[in-house]
Amino acid sequence: MTTQQKVIINKLSTGVPGLDEIVGGGLPEFSFNIIAGAPGSGKTTLAHQFVFANATPERPALYFTVLGESAIKMLRYQQQYTFFDPAKLPGSIRFINLSQVVLAKDLGAVLDEITREVEKANPAVVVVDSFRTMVRKPESDMDLQSFIQRLALFLASWQATTFLIGEYAEDELRDNPIFTVADGLFWLRQTAERNSIVRKLQIIKLRGQDSVPGLHTFRITDAGVQAFSRTFGLSGHVKNPPSQRRLSFGIPELDKMLDGGVREGDSVLIAGSSGTGKSVLATQFIAEGIRHGEPGIVAVFEERPQAYAERATSLGLDLETPQKNGQLAILYLRPLDLSVDETMHSILDAVQRIGAKRLVIDSLAGFEMALSPGFRADFRESLYRMIFALTGIGVTILSTVEVDESFTEFPFSTYSISFLTDDIIRLRYVSIDGQLRKIMVVIKMRGGNHAKDIREYEITSKGVVILGQRLTHYQGLISGIPVHSEPPGNAEVPETGGES
Amino acid sequence: MTTPPEMRDLALRLLAYEAGEAKTSATQGSAAYCVYEKLRRSLGAFAGVAGFHSLASRAMALAKSEAPCLSAARVTPDGAVQGLDPGICKSETQSGMEEDRAGAFSAGDGGTILIAYLLGLLLNLLGEALTFSLLRNAWPSEAFDDRTSGNGRKA
Repeated sequence: MTTQQKVIINKLSTGVPGLDEIVGGGLPEFSFNIIAGAPGSGKTTLAHQFVFANATPERPALYFTVLGESAIKMLRYQQQYTFFDPAKLPGSIRFINLSQVVLAKDLGAVLDEITREVEKANPAVVVVDSFRTMVRKPESDMDLQSFIQRLALFLASWQATTFLIGEYAEDELRDNPIFTVADGLFWLRQTAERNSIVRKLQIIKLRGQDSVPGLHTFRITDAGVQAFSRTFGLSGHVKNPPSQRRLSFGIPELDKMLDGGVREGDSVLIAGSSGTGKSVLATQFIAEGIRHGEPGIVAVFEERPQAYAERATSLGLDLETPQKNGQLAILYLRPLDLSVDETMHSILDAVQRIGAKRLVIDSLAGFEMALSPGFRADFRESLYRMIFALTGIGVTILSTVEVDESFTEFPFSTYSISFLTDDIIRLRYVSIDGQLRKIMVVIKMRGGNHAKDIREYEITSKGVVILGQRLTHYQGLISGIPVHSEPPGNAEVPETGGES
Repeated sequence: MTTPPEMRDLALRLLAYEAGEAKTSATQGSAAYCVYEKLRRSLGAFAGVAGFHSLASRAMALAKSEAPCLSAARVTPDGAVQGLDPGICKSETQSGMEEDRAGAFSAGDGGTILIAYLLGLLLNLLGEALTFSLLRNAWPSEAFDDRTSGNGRKA
């Protein structure tokens, strides 16, 4: 069979932001789907969004309610969502209550009733909420599996896309013959993680679709369900080829240390203890990009955007104007119960909105704290996905991370995430001549011939200023407690860049 | 508790419509019965018999406190009402239900009050938009778009 002869399956929008990407571009038309999950997991809301997105007066949606939630109460609450358009009722969306049939008769009668309504209305969408409540009658003539099979057969023939909604616990999903009938199986769940609730959805099966595997977080807001793909909506994007372009920090000496600047599309980590100037460097990086016409985004977690911009002003850097003219977005991501995917969604929105080329995450510690406790365990894996996705579309990421200052060790990061970064710049305090001074060194630069020098710097009203030449009069600088050594000519810093 | 004037106006408007449809000098009680039955069919379709019964029982309880003439009226388990004159609506009611009306009487203004409370409950629970959607569905030829009663008060 040639490609031309294959049937083309239309894809319908789910009406759920983010979900179309997860299901592989949309829900297959005429598919027979089950939404399963515990009470309160968002099943009905998801179905409503699909219904409101697809129902028309010509091809309406039939929404059968059975036992369980009262239809009046359901509509009372569901109409609070912004997607709920009352004008679609009852012309495009018709709610039909089957509870009397279920209570008085058997599943065969329920099927007859559904058949009658479908033949009368010629619907594009059919929802049965909740189909599981129909089997509470032990004397049912048909078992549920037979009912589902006949219903699926009938609705596919009548060219209706169907959702059955059912309350199921996780262990009931395995080897359940009912689910073999379905073309699509959506599993919604919510779990408590300390004081936070984490909602996740999984497309357990979806015939004929290249859906994104794994658990995807979702949130229910006044706009309804919003899903956040694990691939951040970038699964269809081709990774950009590595760029040779160098991005300046606006600090000539640092650019030299970086062999001309940060390579475009790199992930840079600036590690240092409190007060070493990580945020200052990050701000200078963003400001320099804007000077070169490269829009930027700063994701802050520990302070408000206004405070961040004011601090930049004190360094002579104007972040207010570029915010107004759309070259810069400072995102304050509200703390405590975020998922990485939600954070990414906010960042990606901003990236696409302003065409950002540079992104600052200030800081990773703040980012981690902003996450729901359940996501903190997956922080490294989440960071990997996030960095891979963003650098893949050509965004250069600069992240700051606070490390505990130790006078016996020289850690690059408390998160063991150095493997995620292309370049690492380490800042630290040293005790020299009775002063607490600051040094920086480029630890790593993937594919670049970076300087091995340890340079002293200061934070001035103009930002980070690198002083003089490399420090050649001291041994043990990275310990923080160097020892004064012989004058130049017998430089104690070996060619390998390592410290003695 | 008394019926809000807006709800009473809306109820009267529906009653007037039904009386006009019948082209007879129907009593308010019989027109109220017609309105009630249309609401029962329309609401029952999506809320179910039990759902409608609950609403109607509540409306009846509220109406009785205001209209002593409804003291003998009651809502049966299938959601039908006893105690409102079925009168002209016989052709519209479901078969087999008329037999229950042996004790029917003209409830007069009580019927209006019952309908007003039922509409009030719907507005309270479903909001204006959905309530008027339901009314438009039950009375497709009646214009509810202005969302005002016959007296111009906002419903």
